[in-house]
Amino acid sequence: MSDNSKPPVLELRNVDKSFGPVEVLHDISLKVREGEVLCLLGDNGAGKSTLIKTLSGVYEPTRGSILLDGQPVRFARPKDAQNRGISTVHQFGGTFPLMSIGRSFFVGVEPTKKFGPLKVFDRKKANEIAVSAVQEFGITRIDDGDRLIGGLSGGERQSLAIARAVHFGARVLILDEPTAALGVKEAAHVLRIVLEARRRGLAVIFITHQVMHALTVGDHFAVLIRGALAADFRKGEKTREEITDLMAGGEAMAELEQEIQAYLDESPETEPVQNRPASSEEAV
Amino acid sequence: MSADKKRLSLGSIVRRPETGSVIGLVAVFLFFAIFGQITFLSAAGAASWLNVAATIGIVALPVGLLMIAGELDISIGSMIPASSMIFAISSGYFELPIGVGIAAALCFGLLVGFINGYLTLRTGVHSLIVTLGTLFAVAGLTLTMSVALTGTTSVAVQSPPFIKATMGDFINGIYQVTIFWWMLWAIVLGFVLHFSPIGNWILALGGDKESARNAGIPTQRLTIGLFALSSFSAAFVGVNQAILFNSAQVSAGMSYIFNTIVCVVVGGVLLTGGYGTVVGIVLGTMTFSIVNQGIYFTSFNANLASLIIGVLTLAAVVMNNSFRQMALTYAPKKAEKKAEKAE
Amino acid sequence: MRMKNLVAAATLAAGSFVAAAHMAVAADIALISGKPDDTFFQPVKKGVDDARTVVELTGGTVNYMQLVNYDNLGPDAANLIRTAVGQGVDGLVIADWVPDSMDVAIKEAIAAGVTVMLYNSGNIEKANELGAINYVGSDEYQAGLGAGVYFTDLGYKNILCVNHVPGSFPLETRCNGVLEAAKAAGAASEQLPLPPTQADNAASVAQAIKAALLTDPSIDAILTLNPAVADWAASGIMQAGKTNSVAFGSFDMNEAGLNRIKDGTQLFAIDQQPYLQSFLAVTLLNSYLEYGLTLPTMPVLTGPGIVDASNIDATLAGVQNGAR
Repeated sequence: MSDNSKPPVLELRNVDKSFGPVEVLHDISLKVREGEVLCLLGDNGAGKSTLIKTLSGVYEPTRGSILLDGQPVRFARPKDAQNRGISTVHQFGGTFPLMSIGRSFFVGVEPTKKFGPLKVFDRKKANEIAVSAVQEFGITRIDDGDRLIGGLSGGERQSLAIARAVHFGARVLILDEPTAALGVKEAAHVLRIVLEARRRGLAVIFITHQVMHALTVGDHFAVLIRGALAADFRKGEKTREEITDLMAGGEAMAELEQEIQAYLDESPETEPVQNRPASSEEAV
Repeated sequence: MSADKKRLSLGSIVRRPETGSVIGLVAVFLFFAIFGQITFLSAAGAASWLNVAATIGIVALPVGLLMIAGELDISIGSMIPASSMIFAISSGYFELPIGVGIAAALCFGLLVGFINGYLTLRTGVHSLIVTLGTLFAVAGLTLTMSVALTGTTSVAVQSPPFIKATMGDFINGIYQVTIFWWMLWAIVLGFVLHFSPIGNWILALGGDKESARNAGIPTQRLTIGLFALSSFSAAFVGVNQAILFNSAQVSAGMSYIFNTIVCVVVGGVLLTGGYGTVVGIVLGTMTFSIVNQGIYFTSFNANLASLIIGVLTLAAVVMNNSFRQMALTYAPKKAEKKAEKAE
Repeated sequence: MRMKNLVAAATLAAGSFVAAAHMAVAADIALISGKPDDTFFQPVKKGVDDARTVVELTGGTVNYMQLVNYDNLGPDAANLIRTAVGQGVDGLVIADWVPDSMDVAIKEAIAAGVTVMLYNSGNIEKANELGAINYVGSDEYQAGLGAGVYFTDLGYKNILCVNHVPGSFPLETRCNGVLEAAKAAGAASEQLPLPPTQADNAASVAQAIKAALLTDPSIDAILTLNPAVADWAASGIMQAGKTNSVAFGSFDMNEAGLNRIKDGTQLFAIDQQPYLQSFLAVTLLNSYLEYGLTLPTMPVLTGPGIVDASNIDATLAGVQNGAR
């Protein structure tokens, strides 16, 4: 695995992000190294998406700094972050359901060929590159670049998006809940691709609220609660239950489980109770 | 194996966005070939619907491109009479050189398009509402200016032979030269949408605006450019009509709003953007025009044309929807088999 | 019951007293006109503007009220009538375009003490029925008949009447007039309805007329019912290659139409002289309100006048002034 002597590819130092008087992120410090998967865990509303947008150049930090290869950087636009090798893949692959694989793979960076005086979109080349890029990640089912994105499964879409980011030279891959909407089998596909990206030496920031998925691929974990870093630990330092409780804010999870159990015990009785007034009316 | 291949090729036809419009076109053509008299199939009969298709088509093409990019432009309804009047007032009433009138009308088109695009970007309000505003504003401005300047709402204009020949003449006395402009427009815009990188940007913009912007596409310039294109095309048609009919009226054009939308939708373009082809739009326009004009070659009451167009539009929507679904769920047969074996 | 009638009579008397007191000073008149981009109503406006000088000399006012569009013609016009009554006008000049929706509003206006003059659309029977003082305008049936006779006198056998608003009562009446004239001369006539999806599309209208001429070669005369449709029809006839063999006439006129009459590609235009309709209606109503004057001529017909090669030059002069 990664050793701490290498400088982190991307680092956040004491980052705050406020929208007017509302502070959404508070004093966040994080590092991610080459060939390492950093899992960012947190419940809905914990500030995960604000953190992603800050990393990917949509927002600029209110205070604190972002360092790339140890050098402070500022991203004014998402394009700036992309040019520096920071690539974000959104939950549904962030792609265009009605576009073909080849076309969507090259949106904004279309390969062209000369056609007389005109520059023509090179469909054949685009399809070939897109298909081979995704097949290198082990998704052999995708072999026709003219297929529409909307016809791919959720896992295939994620895989395609990750393959696209890698193809265009991403060094830091930010994955926003890539497994959230997927079934078990599909999620396993995506996790395999995350590991493949790590093997190739990318720094991966894996955002999720599914602890099992995080434990499968993560080297390093950070838990976000109400915009602040509640825990920062390495693989093997905490169990699944401990992490789950952390994310939910302490004992909350155990309490919820009890409540659910109590509800399940009670519910078989509720139906006859509701029926009673109706039957008594009939009796009258 | 050969049977399998055949099935695949049939499947790939069905999955194309313009399949619905081909079926519609063939159906209405056969319908009117059977019920229309022999003149429907004659050269003059073909000219009848081609001429109408050309005038609507020049506007429907850029409107379709806008729709693929996820926007709408209904201000064309007042842009057409506005440019007709600007041209006729300049070159007819004030007797300025013909080029001045044409340039003024086309520049006004670009200006209105720019305003549409700018306001859509700036306000974030749906372009239907923005162009609804410019629709009324331009109509009001045209009316006020023409009454103030000429005291009437209908102005005559005579064009010199060269302009008449390129913009408003009839080939063999029956085919409008507008048909060639329409073909030229279809080729240029077909190239832009399907073969140039800009076409990819348009599809991406209509598919997901946010992702398109993040991918580094100049979405603002693209949006303004597309609005300018549609207003410019409407202005072109307005000038063309004035040259063709030697007169301009303040009120002629509102029917273009719905007619272009029908042509584009029948042509298989998705109203919410991200999907459609130029061939589809051309076929949709032809289908619309055949129904609209073919009715006069039959013994049916012309009022039925609207009914047929309405039914056709609904059928096209349903048909396009299912073809799109087929395209989405399509996976090559051999790949599935391979995958099954692997698992 | 008696008591109630008494009260009603008293109220009415009081109302008319107020109106009478008002009219002695000056007459406030409103005229309801078509939509602003309808070429036909430009001379109507000119007539109102010229009549206004007369009314203002006697201290009165003239309010020119316009419809916004014709999509909901009857109810919209009825609402304009009610608005005018609400503003307290003394006299109202109104065209009875859609009797079913508008008659009620006209009767209400008269009941409220407003003196009503019909113009443009209607006839003297309608004026009498409603209680309006007169009708100034053309008679659609007579106008259609006149156009038909013009064709049949020249020996044309099959007249196509192009109706750009199918279902409109005045336009149907014109076509019926043409039909009667044709029947009387042993000729034929039929209508070509243009659906609303294409009635304002120049190319579409031109092609529809061309198609009609091609499918029925026996058509030798065409009548259009408005000047814009006439411009497009002229092109349709040309495209059918029949400019020289098909006679062509139109209701009303614009500059291009007059040019065609001068060139000889259009035979005639039926002129209902809209300027006179509004000018006479407003001045006659003002004279009645101010001085109690009435005309024995009922109705006051302003048309059909016919513009053809014989009087085209005089007509062109009137067009220059915006009165035709």
